[in-house]
Amino acid sequence: MSGIEDTLTNFLKLTFLSMVPFVLAGQGTMLGGRTGVYNVAQEGMMLVGASVGFLASYLTENLFLGMLIAMVTGALFGLLLAYFTTTLKLDQFVVGLALFFAGLGISTLLPKKVIGITLSPPLIPTLQDIPIPLLSKIPVIGEIFFNQNILVYVSVLLSIALWYFLFKTNIGLQLRSVGENPKAADSLGVNVVRMRYITTILGGVFIGLAGAYLPMVYTGTFTDGMVKGRGWLAIAITFFGSFSPIPILFGSIFFAGIEVTAYKVQIGGTGIPYQFLLMLPYVMTIIIMIFTYGKARVPAFLGQNYDREKRTL
Amino acid sequence: MRFIKSILPYLGAVVIAFVVAGIFIALMGYDPLEAYATIFGTSFKTPYAFVQTILKWIPLTLLALAFTIPYATGKFNIGGEGQMIAGAIGAAAVGILLSDMPIYILLPLEIVAGILAGALWGLVPAYLLYQFRINEILTTVLFNFIAFNLIDYVATGPWRDPTAGHPTTVAVGEGGFLPNLLSTQPINAGFLITIAVAIGIYIYTNRTVGGFELIATGANPKASHVHGINTRFLSVFSLVLGAALAGLAGAIEVAGTHHRLIEGLQSNFMQLGLIIGLIAGGNSLAVPFIAFFIAVLEVGARAMQRTMQIPVEMVFIVEALLLIFILLSNVVRRRK
Amino acid sequence: MVKQHVLEMKGINKQFASIVALKEVNFELYPGEICGLLGGNGAGKTTLMNILYGLYRQDTGKIFLEGKPVSIQSPKDSLSLGIGMVHQHFLQISNYSVIENIILGANVKHPYSSNLTPEKQQIDALCKRFSLDINPDAIISSLPVGTRQKVEILKALFRGIKILILDEPTTSLTPQEVDSLFKSLEVMVKEGLSIVFITHKLREVLSVCDRISVLRDGRNVISLDRKSAAEEELVKAMVGENLDVSKSIIFSKGKYQTVDPKYEKAPIFKVNDLSYTNADKVQVLKKLSFDLYENEVLGVAGVAGNGQHELVETLMHVQQLSNGKIYFLGEDITRVPTEAIWKKGLVYIPEDRLDDGFLPKSNVAQNLILGFHKSPSYSSKGFINWKSVYSKTREMIKEYNIKTSGPNEVGSNLSGGNIQRVMIARIFSQHTRMLIIHNPTRGLDIPSTDFVYRKILEKKKEGISTLLVTEDLDELILICDRIVIIYKGELVGVLDRNEFEKYRIGRLMSGFKDTSLAKKRGTI
Repeated sequence: MSGIEDTLTNFLKLTFLSMVPFVLAGQGTMLGGRTGVYNVAQEGMMLVGASVGFLASYLTENLFLGMLIAMVTGALFGLLLAYFTTTLKLDQFVVGLALFFAGLGISTLLPKKVIGITLSPPLIPTLQDIPIPLLSKIPVIGEIFFNQNILVYVSVLLSIALWYFLFKTNIGLQLRSVGENPKAADSLGVNVVRMRYITTILGGVFIGLAGAYLPMVYTGTFTDGMVKGRGWLAIAITFFGSFSPIPILFGSIFFAGIEVTAYKVQIGGTGIPYQFLLMLPYVMTIIIMIFTYGKARVPAFLGQNYDREKRTL
Repeated sequence: MRFIKSILPYLGAVVIAFVVAGIFIALMGYDPLEAYATIFGTSFKTPYAFVQTILKWIPLTLLALAFTIPYATGKFNIGGEGQMIAGAIGAAAVGILLSDMPIYILLPLEIVAGILAGALWGLVPAYLLYQFRINEILTTVLFNFIAFNLIDYVATGPWRDPTAGHPTTVAVGEGGFLPNLLSTQPINAGFLITIAVAIGIYIYTNRTVGGFELIATGANPKASHVHGINTRFLSVFSLVLGAALAGLAGAIEVAGTHHRLIEGLQSNFMQLGLIIGLIAGGNSLAVPFIAFFIAVLEVGARAMQRTMQIPVEMVFIVEALLLIFILLSNVVRRRK
Repeated sequence: MVKQHVLEMKGINKQFASIVALKEVNFELYPGEICGLLGGNGAGKTTLMNILYGLYRQDTGKIFLEGKPVSIQSPKDSLSLGIGMVHQHFLQISNYSVIENIILGANVKHPYSSNLTPEKQQIDALCKRFSLDINPDAIISSLPVGTRQKVEILKALFRGIKILILDEPTTSLTPQEVDSLFKSLEVMVKEGLSIVFITHKLREVLSVCDRISVLRDGRNVISLDRKSAAEEELVKAMVGENLDVSKSIIFSKGKYQTVDPKYEKAPIFKVNDLSYTNADKVQVLKKLSFDLYENEVLGVAGVAGNGQHELVETLMHVQQLSNGKIYFLGEDITRVPTEAIWKKGLVYIPEDRLDDGFLPKSNVAQNLILGFHKSPSYSSKGFINWKSVYSKTREMIKEYNIKTSGPNEVGSNLSGGNIQRVMIARIFSQHTRMLIIHNPTRGLDIPSTDFVYRKILEKKKEGISTLLVTEDLDELILICDRIVIIYKGELVGVLDRNEFEKYRIGRLMSGFKDTSLAKKRGTI
């Protein structure tokens, strides 16, 4: 009996551990999306976040400084995205792809330059669990929910805070109006440009942090391509979640669950070649897309740039 | 004269990109002039380097077209990697299973299998787009990751070449080798195939009714639909056609360049192909020329890493900068 | 004693790329008056007011409020200076409520909660004061056009504005609603507001404005009191030398040469019980039936949003109808795809020029052949004959007076009027059998509008009939032989030319069925 209990506890704990990159990247995508900026550079931004986060942690010997620097890097990418799309009015997808490439290149270049090419890459310590006093002692639930690393708690609190801010306050209403009808918002004095910059930069902070999480929790180092498509998956989660913080949180938990399942089955050893198990998260994503696609609601002006002086012909 | 005037912003962007990249290189502690000399010069120094450039040009051109054709209808094909891998697997499968067949049967079958496999890999995202209106950026990317795992299985599975240090299959049958064009250099017939494809695509997009409908669909899908163009079919068709070209690239790598399936053969051709396609602004005539330029850079980058210990990724940064500055030059041109 | 003006705009110049929109324009507004800003589309009226409201910035020129110079960089500035604007196309978020739309950008009392009670009280007080009747919690998408306009007005009143700009406010209103709007304006003026009334409709300024200022081609023409304004003088001011008024269709008061429709022959176009349910499961069209005859211009009247868009799209098979039959020249075309419909000579000019009718990134030549690119005049054996396309384009540019540098010019460089000319050239230069046209003259200047009417009447003479779907009542009354009226997706009336009367049509547009029309050619 306790064997099953242990397996379940372990599985769920691992799931909550794994949901963090999805939640952070998802909320980052959502925030910009609510003002109409459709970020597709997440994969590159997370790679940079992972690379910079790892290097900074290694050089300063401090994980939190590493996180901070990764967040600053993410903010920088967000700033570039905002500038190219909102101010220069270039196509959002194209800019996103360009930033993805930039992130791809920088993330592989930097470690080679800073550490050089070695057979045994240096490792950084893992992010420790922080047990919440009293609550973590509750059997089963205590271990799953209240004995996790700090970013797990941050992810949940962030999601709730964003939900409250966007949907339960009047300021949030105004922010959302920018993505629903920027011309209407602009005509009433809402600063569309400033809103887009703020949400995109802040989104970049979350996405950079999502990337930094990976070396700090999984491998202790940076390897090329370690994000493994989580950035792209975050876009999908944000979509199914209709750009709403709580559905995104639950969607992330679900995806993390699939990821953990594939990993566990692979370890457990079945007849199936492990490569096919590794395909599972991606295939599941596609299947879920088929079922939920018509029902997703996105901000009306998502992906469209706004030009106040544009003459409607 | 007007032509020169119209490409002036592009040239300006290119120059600025190289200057900025040069500063970046200098900041990293290397000599930018020596770096650039190596990057630009290597391809033309030795026949071997030139052949390598041509061999890179083939997949770069095809992957760039794999992006620009759907882009003409407003769709983003980010699945070139997976489609190329699928094409390579298809070609390798035929080449290995039917390895005893003579060349006039095996080779065409191999190439066709590669094209069809690539097309199939693009067909599923295209169908999902058509039927469920699912964003193709996401589906094509997800299929890339599925393909990575698939090729890992194929290259380490029953067809594995045990003597190779890196996951690779055994060679395809001799009948599956693309013949070389010159007896002295390993430039395979894939070169001619690619030229023919590039010309064919150009004629299609610029001179045919179908090509007009393709461009119109991308320019304004609603207006095209209202005026009788079957936009839904065309956007799906363009994705499948692009995927087929990526599959062809994979088939040529297997049949011509390596004669076997090597894990990682997709290299970074897709990313570079995207950059080429975006720099070309979707102009299918410009693609082969820009692809050649990028091929030169890539060959030079590897030489630069060997001789100057500058990581190859530096060139990728240069290429990304090129893209960014060309995008900026579009803004400048618009302002005029 | 000289009256002091509350607003003065002096020497305003504005240029967009190479187009001069305003040249040395002056404008004055006196306290407590309704000043009409009159001119054809493209005259610069909206541009001038957009500058006042802060959506555009003037290149040179000054603005004075109560004698003091002011700088307006954005709508935030204009609103804080007490200037509000009701735009021609309402700027509303459909899935927000009335009050949520109104408070956008305003400083609410409780920003960090969703409590809007103080604001709701303010809105209720405003509604009482200005005799407007609105439910603040209603969702915008559920409201009719007339009510949505009141929300736009409330948005401005909520911010305590003293100057209200209305841009073509009567476009989507029935004649009865127009009267109601004018009454509201008079209430506002009594409450101390000053109003700028932008319009291209002569009759409106003459009925509600105290003073009239005319713009043409971005320049002042005249300003005068309503009492001293004569219709002819205003027409001449609006049109200048750009149109020979005596030979025009627009100012002909319906007295122009034309042929009679062939009612004795079988109709060339028959619609039976056309029904359409959209993706949101709303039945937008309910059993529509009507006929169109040879040499006829049949008008479809109605307030915007009563199914017109869905009607034209189902007829052209851009959308799939749910029920009913369509016959063209005796043939059942209900299931025929759009491409074949075009091929049969049944063609369409959509209302939404940019969205539905034009390729901005393509050049003029490519735009000209859109829809006809498969016809033998432009292509053969699957290849487009660009040489003949380009030469034909050059011909069209001359014949239809399209202002462009040539077939190679990028479409997005053209002005709205010229884009319409391209779309008209596209249709009218080919062999066609019937035209479906939706709001063809919206946003067009007066000479272009007259040109469109002329072309439609020409085609009518040649036997090519037109189904004219438009929200412009004056247009319908001017050139149609019969008018059917659509309300909430149903045909509620058919009128012959001798029965055309504005208020009668207006009643039908508002949904009052006219039972005396039960037995008519063309069923209800």
